[in-house]
Amino acid sequence: MSNRKRSKFLKLLVIVAMGAVVFRLFFIQIIQHDEWVAKAAEQQTMQNTIVARRGEIYMMDGNEATVIVMNEPVWAIILDPMIADEERTKEIIDKYAAEQRQAEWKDVFGTEGLRYYVVARGVKRAAAEKIKAEQLPGVWFQEGVQRVYPEGQMATPLLGFVNAEGKGQYGVEGALDKELAGVNGVLKTVKDVNNIPLTIGSDNVRVPAVDGKNIVLSIDRNIQHAAEKALANALERSQASHASALVMDPRTGKIWAMANLPTYDAAKYVEVEDATVFQNGVVEDAYEPASVCKTFAFAAGIEEGVMKPESTYYNSGSLTIDGWPIENAYKGQYGQITMQTALNYSLNTGSMQALMWLGGSDSQITQTGREKLYEYYYKRFGFGQYTGIELFESPGLVVGPNEGYGLNSRYANMTFGQNLNLTMIQVATAFSAVVNGGEYFTPTIVAGEMVNGEFKQNPMREPVRQIISTNTSATMRKMLYNTRQGRRLAGVDKPGYYVGGKTGTAQVIRDGAYVMDETKATYVGFGTSGDADSSDLPEYVIMVKIWEEGKRIEGERDAMPLFDEISNFMLDYLKIKPKES
Amino acid sequence: MRRHKSDRAIAVLTLLLLAIGLMVIYAIGPMRANFMNSAYGTEYDANYFFTHQLVSVVLAIGAFILAFKYPYEKVRTFAKWLMVAGLVASGLLALLALMGSSLASCQLGACRWYNLGALGSFQPAELIKLGLVLYLAQLVAERKKEGKLENSSDFWLPFGVVSGLSLCFVILVQKDLGTGVAVIAIILAILWMSGVSLRKFGLVLLVIFGLGVGAIISSPHRMERLMTFGGEADADSSYHIDNAMIAIGTGGFLGVGIGNSVQATGYLPESINDSVFAVMGETYGFMGLFTVVACFTVLLLRLLKTADRLAGLEERLVVIGTFAWVMAHVVVNIAAMTGLMPLTGITLPLLSYGGTSMVFLSLALGLSLQLSCYTERIVADEPVMQKVGAKRRRMQ
Repeated sequence: MSNRKRSKFLKLLVIVAMGAVVFRLFFIQIIQHDEWVAKAAEQQTMQNTIVARRGEIYMMDGNEATVIVMNEPVWAIILDPMIADEERTKEIIDKYAAEQRQAEWKDVFGTEGLRYYVVARGVKRAAAEKIKAEQLPGVWFQEGVQRVYPEGQMATPLLGFVNAEGKGQYGVEGALDKELAGVNGVLKTVKDVNNIPLTIGSDNVRVPAVDGKNIVLSIDRNIQHAAEKALANALERSQASHASALVMDPRTGKIWAMANLPTYDAAKYVEVEDATVFQNGVVEDAYEPASVCKTFAFAAGIEEGVMKPESTYYNSGSLTIDGWPIENAYKGQYGQITMQTALNYSLNTGSMQALMWLGGSDSQITQTGREKLYEYYYKRFGFGQYTGIELFESPGLVVGPNEGYGLNSRYANMTFGQNLNLTMIQVATAFSAVVNGGEYFTPTIVAGEMVNGEFKQNPMREPVRQIISTNTSATMRKMLYNTRQGRRLAGVDKPGYYVGGKTGTAQVIRDGAYVMDETKATYVGFGTSGDADSSDLPEYVIMVKIWEEGKRIEGERDAMPLFDEISNFMLDYLKIKPKES
Repeated sequence: MRRHKSDRAIAVLTLLLLAIGLMVIYAIGPMRANFMNSAYGTEYDANYFFTHQLVSVVLAIGAFILAFKYPYEKVRTFAKWLMVAGLVASGLLALLALMGSSLASCQLGACRWYNLGALGSFQPAELIKLGLVLYLAQLVAERKKEGKLENSSDFWLPFGVVSGLSLCFVILVQKDLGTGVAVIAIILAILWMSGVSLRKFGLVLLVIFGLGVGAIISSPHRMERLMTFGGEADADSSYHIDNAMIAIGTGGFLGVGIGNSVQATGYLPESINDSVFAVMGETYGFMGLFTVVACFTVLLLRLLKTADRLAGLEERLVVIGTFAWVMAHVVVNIAAMTGLMPLTGITLPLLSYGGTSMVFLSLALGLSLQLSCYTERIVADEPVMQKVGAKRRRMQ
């Protein structure tokens, strides 16, 4: 081979090698470009979540907001059993955080090859600092936040809890989780190999966390406390298992107390065995409230001009509708009686009479009557619909006037609060409208929020609709006052006050049929100052419910005393002046 | 031969590549300093690497001009001594390292550098490369003139001893496979163009291949590097190659721009030395790397062209040696960075951070530039002397 050829070979070598390199570069940089960019991003970007601070929950204490659910820093203790000094670690941790220890020592130190074990959670600051001071080898701490409840178990079914993942469950924590949780921020940035963020690159994102709102509930902790005390007393007195109470301001729809017993310890929600205690019965439990509904049937009749309190009908003690006899619970007051008497003795024949009149008949339930009642119940009073309160609600159920079978029988039952499902919040809100002059307010439990330690009140609410006239409302107040007074032993309501209300003793359906051995007791009423001729608007509305599975709990015997206790508290607490007589 | 104008392309490309290298170090030097400081607790100033590279470039340009101006006729008188100096310096380094002297700078058991304190550092392997180019060219040309090229004791003995010693020092003592590849390339290229028979050349190739296999098998470290390439990676090497390719790949067509290299912030090992090509790929993209590769290609082709047109075999072999030197470094470095070859740890000529290699290669390139002043118009195909030799063989 000549020198020239050998030189040409070298030239070829250069061209082939460099050509291969260029081809390779084209492949990597142009064709595979996206893959390498993705691979680079994998190692070069760091994405951190900036955790938003969960808002705290406040209640009213008179005119001041006071914190009821707080955040508290807590520490988890983590152990590397390979490094840790077994005896000393056991001793120190058990000395300061035995209660928070969640692991068995034999599991921690007895497992081969374990390098990471969370031995305790929720260790408070003082204990954590004492353990830290011991400088135990192989022990480290992870800070977190947990909810604390300065008022203990008060209002827990209303408030709910925060689970281990930091998500609100049930109650206010669950329903207002979005507002309370805030929005976590994101820090996404290109970093160097030592995890130091770089300013290189255009994709760097830094979204600061938006902390959750500190929500101030309209609940007044004093009223809540009184209501819960009254519930406890009532359960004791009636030997019942469950009771709920709702206290609200009929002039604004603001809820002052929403109490349920039994309650639980939100800090130990894991230990709760019966999950039904998580329910807020006032808004989530739709039931048949029974005779308190006569109030609404009568209000419809009066508003429609088909009856007055003094209108009379013939009470035979029972009525047969669609072939089914419907009897009064109270046996008596037979003959020609007034509607006021019917309400006083909670006679089913009375409320059925109202329904017949609504339909333009004296002795028959008609389609028009059903449609009228439905218009009032569903459209005006909002029964069988979400009220719009800021909580998880059950919608309840009111069946339409022409749906299904046994229409007349169902609607006859609906006049005395059976054959329909309503929540306490629906009933109490409609009741408020009936007695407050006819204005329906959407109920609310949120009074405002705390911003930088200052209470920012939500604007006053406007009524949603006028559901009955002020005259009808005044008539209804009078009827409810008379009903209460006519059935009360003197002296329960203090003199100078004007308190009215209606009982309900509901039969309960079990397996599709009403049973005889169980009734739920309800009372709903209002209070203000005044004598028998008072025209003052109500200052408060209270609704209570008490029951136990398999027990007969009655409106007058069991629910009314519960109402009395709260009502008397309210008269004092709101400093309502008695009318001088 | 009358002196004419030099091949400007060689000068321009050499200076251009030096300038590009300086620019890259300017962009990533601060990141390197930052990374070194946070990772090893050093206290490099942000401009440390740039200023040092600037000094190196100035020295390299000085060396380039010196070699261009200083007549080759004088250089050839001490070529032998340069070779001896390279070997002695390497031997001395090994001795110093054995004695644990602080003059020898060692990493992972490989002692490649003289640590000269304030004067910087010096790598004797670079002297070996320059020495080899000059000495072997002279040896081949003289033996050829004497017609003793195929003679074992007059040519193959000194050729074998010098080559063997050089490889021994570089690969076995200094454990520098990258430089070893360059040394082999220089030896083979000079031998290839010397005109020895293909059979003899093939034999030498076989011996070197055998030694190479032996060297790889004898060193677990080298075995690992080969395995990296074969798929069974050792963590360090595959990490290095992965990150080099990430850098090159993210560059895309036009690159991320000066100062925006993320890989240089510590992900890519040796970002300013052996991996500078990858960082350039990230910074300047395909266009940038294409330009660099094109510069090297043209430089290599101009060196070949110069060699082709030189009448004297010795001068031609000097240029061929320089060509092989550049070629080996460029190809081995880039091939490793793009995952075409195992990682060997070799600098990218004129661009990588570090003075010694830059200065010595500049000397060789300067000399080639000087020799380009003496080319003939037509390609010198078969030198007269060889024809004579061939005739003589036929006559025998």
